[in-house]
Amino acid sequence: MSKFRVTVDTGGTFSDFVFFNEETGEIAITKVPSTPKEPFEAVMNGVKELIDRGVAAKDISFFSHGTTVGTNALLEEKGAKTGLLVTEGFRGIYEVMEQTRGYGPATYDLFFEKPRLLALPYYTEEIPERVDFRGNALKSIDVVAAREAIKRLKKKGVQSVAVCFLFSFLNPDHELKIKELFAEEFPQARLSLSYEVLPQIREFYRLSTTVINAYIQPVMSSYLSRLESRMRELGVTTPKLYIMQSNGGVSTFKGSAEKPVATVLSGPAGGVIASMGTCERVGINDLITFDMGGTSCDVALIHQGNPVITTQGKISMRPISLPMLDIHTVSAGGGTIARIDAVGGLQVGPDSAGADPGPVSYDRGGQEITVTDANIVTGVLDPDQFLGGRMKLNKAKAERLLEEKIAKPLKLNLLEAADGVIKIINVKMEEAIKAVSSARGYDIRDFTLVAFGGGGPMHAGRMALDLGIPSVLVPLTPGVHSALGLLMSDVKHDYVRSKLVGLDDLDLNDINHLFAQLIDRAKADLQDEDFRDDEIKIEPYLDLRYAGQGYELTVPCPMPPLKPEDLKVMRQRFDTMHEQNSGHKAETEPVELVSLRLISLGLVPQAKLSPGKVTGRKVEEAKTGERKVFFGKEHGTLNTQIYTRDLLETGHQIDGPAIVEQLDTTTVIQPEQEASVDEYRNIIIREKA
Amino acid sequence: MATVDPVTLQVIQARLAGIVQEMQNSLFRTGYSTIIRESQDASCAILNRQGEVVAQHVVLPLHMGAFPACAAGILKSYSADEVHEGDAFITNHPYLGGSPHAPDMAVLSPIFYRGEWVGFAANLAHKSDIGGPVPGSCWSQAREIYQEGLHVPPVKYVHKYQTSKDLEAVLGCNSRTPELVVGDLRGQVGAARLGERRFQEMMERYGKETVLSSFEQLFALTEAKVRAEIASWPDGVGEGERFVDSDGIELDKPVRLHVRIEKKGDHLLFDLTGCADQTKGPANIRPTIVRAACCYLLTCLVDPALAINYGLAKTIDIKVREGSVVHPRFPAPVNTYNPTVHALVESLLEASSQITPRKKVGDGCSSRSIIIGGRSNKTGKGYVQYEIFGGGSGGRSGKDGVSGTNVNQSNAKIAPIEIIESEFSTRVRRFELIADSGGAGAFRGGLGFVREYEVLDNDARFSLRSTKHSVAPKGIDGGMDGKTGHCVFNPGKPGERVIPSRFSDHVLHPGEVFSLETPGGGGLGNPFERDPVRVLNDVRNGYVTQPKAREAYRVAIAQSDGDFVLDEAQTRQLRSNAEDRE
Repeated sequence: MSKFRVTVDTGGTFSDFVFFNEETGEIAITKVPSTPKEPFEAVMNGVKELIDRGVAAKDISFFSHGTTVGTNALLEEKGAKTGLLVTEGFRGIYEVMEQTRGYGPATYDLFFEKPRLLALPYYTEEIPERVDFRGNALKSIDVVAAREAIKRLKKKGVQSVAVCFLFSFLNPDHELKIKELFAEEFPQARLSLSYEVLPQIREFYRLSTTVINAYIQPVMSSYLSRLESRMRELGVTTPKLYIMQSNGGVSTFKGSAEKPVATVLSGPAGGVIASMGTCERVGINDLITFDMGGTSCDVALIHQGNPVITTQGKISMRPISLPMLDIHTVSAGGGTIARIDAVGGLQVGPDSAGADPGPVSYDRGGQEITVTDANIVTGVLDPDQFLGGRMKLNKAKAERLLEEKIAKPLKLNLLEAADGVIKIINVKMEEAIKAVSSARGYDIRDFTLVAFGGGGPMHAGRMALDLGIPSVLVPLTPGVHSALGLLMSDVKHDYVRSKLVGLDDLDLNDINHLFAQLIDRAKADLQDEDFRDDEIKIEPYLDLRYAGQGYELTVPCPMPPLKPEDLKVMRQRFDTMHEQNSGHKAETEPVELVSLRLISLGLVPQAKLSPGKVTGRKVEEAKTGERKVFFGKEHGTLNTQIYTRDLLETGHQIDGPAIVEQLDTTTVIQPEQEASVDEYRNIIIREKA
Repeated sequence: MATVDPVTLQVIQARLAGIVQEMQNSLFRTGYSTIIRESQDASCAILNRQGEVVAQHVVLPLHMGAFPACAAGILKSYSADEVHEGDAFITNHPYLGGSPHAPDMAVLSPIFYRGEWVGFAANLAHKSDIGGPVPGSCWSQAREIYQEGLHVPPVKYVHKYQTSKDLEAVLGCNSRTPELVVGDLRGQVGAARLGERRFQEMMERYGKETVLSSFEQLFALTEAKVRAEIASWPDGVGEGERFVDSDGIELDKPVRLHVRIEKKGDHLLFDLTGCADQTKGPANIRPTIVRAACCYLLTCLVDPALAINYGLAKTIDIKVREGSVVHPRFPAPVNTYNPTVHALVESLLEASSQITPRKKVGDGCSSRSIIIGGRSNKTGKGYVQYEIFGGGSGGRSGKDGVSGTNVNQSNAKIAPIEIIESEFSTRVRRFELIADSGGAGAFRGGLGFVREYEVLDNDARFSLRSTKHSVAPKGIDGGMDGKTGHCVFNPGKPGERVIPSRFSDHVLHPGEVFSLETPGGGGLGNPFERDPVRVLNDVRNGYVTQPKAREAYRVAIAQSDGDFVLDEAQTRQLRSNAEDRE
């Protein structure tokens, strides 16, 4: 009997499933309506669907899940009643936050608000204790006072508690003491220690990350335990149950229940991982992922097979400083609104009509012209074939309102106005792509643009021409790309210990000792998760900066124990990386170590997807018709061949202008471009020779 | 010039926004000094060939006025045939350039397209020290700008891609932190070069004429938008007045800022002739800064998301009197300009609220910085610890003020304690909000905070640039004033001493302590009308004490079993008594 891997990515409207047959390498996909009130219902419905197809529950060998349960609890502020313990005298760290209003329009907003405190001062206790910048205890923890504080929180009915003491990343004794005291006084409380969540310098960012963890932990762990017990009831026995994290790896249910903050920005991560996996199979190592949905567009850069990582994430103005895939998001999607402002300028975005009422053409009462409407008017979208014909769009209404609201005031004809809306939204997305690529010193001509999401394949061709990106790859299943990514993710954990010291002054024994601790812990964690030694991969890094700089670069490091000559190598790598990132280096300036880092990977046997079957069908057989599409003033309206994606197979060639339709997206091949179908049935679009 | 179609126009505007954003990211990422990297006190802009702002990424809105004045200084000093591709100019001169004060160094590099000079890529960043009598270069007793550090008129720092070693050496040896000054400056040139490259690419893609014509049209769009908003207000006159604590020399003499705004049609005149005479000490501001403050006001009132460019500046007419605090005669000192600007912005908000009586805002905390110059036992080197602090913002129509925030034109991040203690020889002993510091009101002012420090290792030279230690943040519409700021050495110990809000160069010895309290915001509306449940929550969270709740809000709060509860009956009684007396 074949074994099956199941992955599910829960979105706002649909939960996307991928079923992978380990024996044949074939995948099947399905979409199940999401159940926001009880998100696990949708997950169970999808698993049941697989069982209904004749798969025994015990033959599910692997289950991986992208969930927004933690994210939503945070965004909707529906987390736990959360307490906070801080060093005595330092309540201000959380309340003052960054002290700024944010930049751009927020600077001028007299009615600006900070994000609401997730742990109120009423549930905040100050603990007499203090550690200095060397990690020495200036004042040892007052156990009696701490015990009293814990009792007060218990009495107030707090469910979850964050602990963040100054310099705990250098000396965790006091935070660990708190853990002991909780075990004695208040064992029911969930506890998040900053030393365990993120032992990293910069107290507010560590605190913010720890508080978010505490805030969503009860919600997440209850979700995961309910989900697990329901799966067991269905007869699913596999111990391999995973959750997607913001760093692009997965973690076990247990790990995610303890550290849910690591999942909060995981939404777009699956798509990036799927893109990497898709490209790796066809020998592409440098790519930019381009995921355009209904309201936003996410872009990320992968260089030589490695995604860019950031520790400066934020969600609704709240910092999360855990390492995560550096995904740049802009408000640009199919629902983005185009309108004329008070003085006659054409503005596209940032607001969106969302899914409800949605674009004018959805005919659900939307009165604002959106990008999707513009794509209907130009002929890119077929009003009768949207979602495979499941939804009819009202083209006449889109034309009428676009004419009235945009074209007339600007004295443009209807098609030019529609095309203008698309051009402007494209430029905004192109700027996001530049921000992750050329702004960081990468030559965009070396990259492939991987387009997915409902809108990505529609806009990517033209954007690639604008940006000078030589090729676009549209994967076979662009609508379930995130779920596919779950199939390709390894288990990934991050470890960090801050240690601010000059590279020339550091005590190598000390550093090697710290690294040894991190490595031991990383290995133990993965062994706990049933990984054998040969499935464990450890990658060490050092965060370095020129003395006095404010941002560190994470530089790959030889496997510890480090030798003196390794430090010279690190110095050179840092200079080179700094030049790449910011255009200059300072080889004579002293360099400082800020943090030691470790990534540990528990390697999941790669899902071997089968290449596309070739039946010998001719490309003409995939052609379903022809329609008139407006390709901008340069080309005008052209007769355009329409193809069905399901009928395209390896080796097929298509000349632009052309359109390829499939259930969840439409791929546009511009008049200047041609496309071919590769061995895994990806569409590759290039400029004509 | 040819008209650019509306689509291309928006495309170019989006490209420009991308360019200045990239410049800014580059500057923040490569900044050396805490002031750039942790506080992010720096801005970037693209200017046209005339030095008019085309696009900017502004962290500190005042920098908006600085760029054109710096460009004007360069255009005055250099003829076109002396300007080459690969050059970069610098200036920090408040009179010959447009820098607010000497520590703010501007870099402007001319952009060339196919051999033709078409604009400037510019940025402005605060330097931790540029020499002068005190660390941080802002001496509160300065009587002329010669006492405010090294001043650089508009000069060429880079000539055809060759950085002037001579100039770098001069700058370096005049600063207490030469590596930071030179390191930041290199980062600034790097950011400007990035802007140049991206600008050239834009011209390549859309054509020079199209790009240049777009600038004019973008100016016109912004101008039209601002004028349309102004025209929608009733014609009339508004007046506003605020005071700065003192100029640092005449300590008992508050400095008056006064504005009279005349609104007629789509035109505003800002008459500042009622401001005080120029001050002996460094409280003066240059007219370019006044213009920037007016731009800030209009952006707040018209649309925080306004595309800010020269079109906005064109709508502003100011009338200033030479010899006044807002138009001082050379070489009057200007180093502590920011408290004056805060008082000016508050006067502007007050005056404009009489013309456009929309939502209102009470006074905020203004802004302050501490500067500690010392020598670290860790590195053996000199350092300048420079930190910028806010406090409470004023209560607003329908909303409380924000606690622990920068307000109005100030917007710097707070530096992490763990970074400060790792790099400098001070220890932070306390950092918390101050209960009852927010002015009582139907909408309470935000709270100020206290920072307490201990000096370690070696003697350190301490300076404070603050305000609102004697003039309180005003409450409005019946709201109470916010609590004033306060700075004291060695509180509760021998040698205790309260210092004025502008104070320079006091030597603190190892083991000595200073405590700085920042002001809370003014309240808005009658505090007796504040919802008692909100008062209860304030007491629970420690923002308001029980006695204050009773006295200022007439809300009775009792303690029961470790929690606070609202005594509704007594509250009703307290409030009806209060009504009787009115």
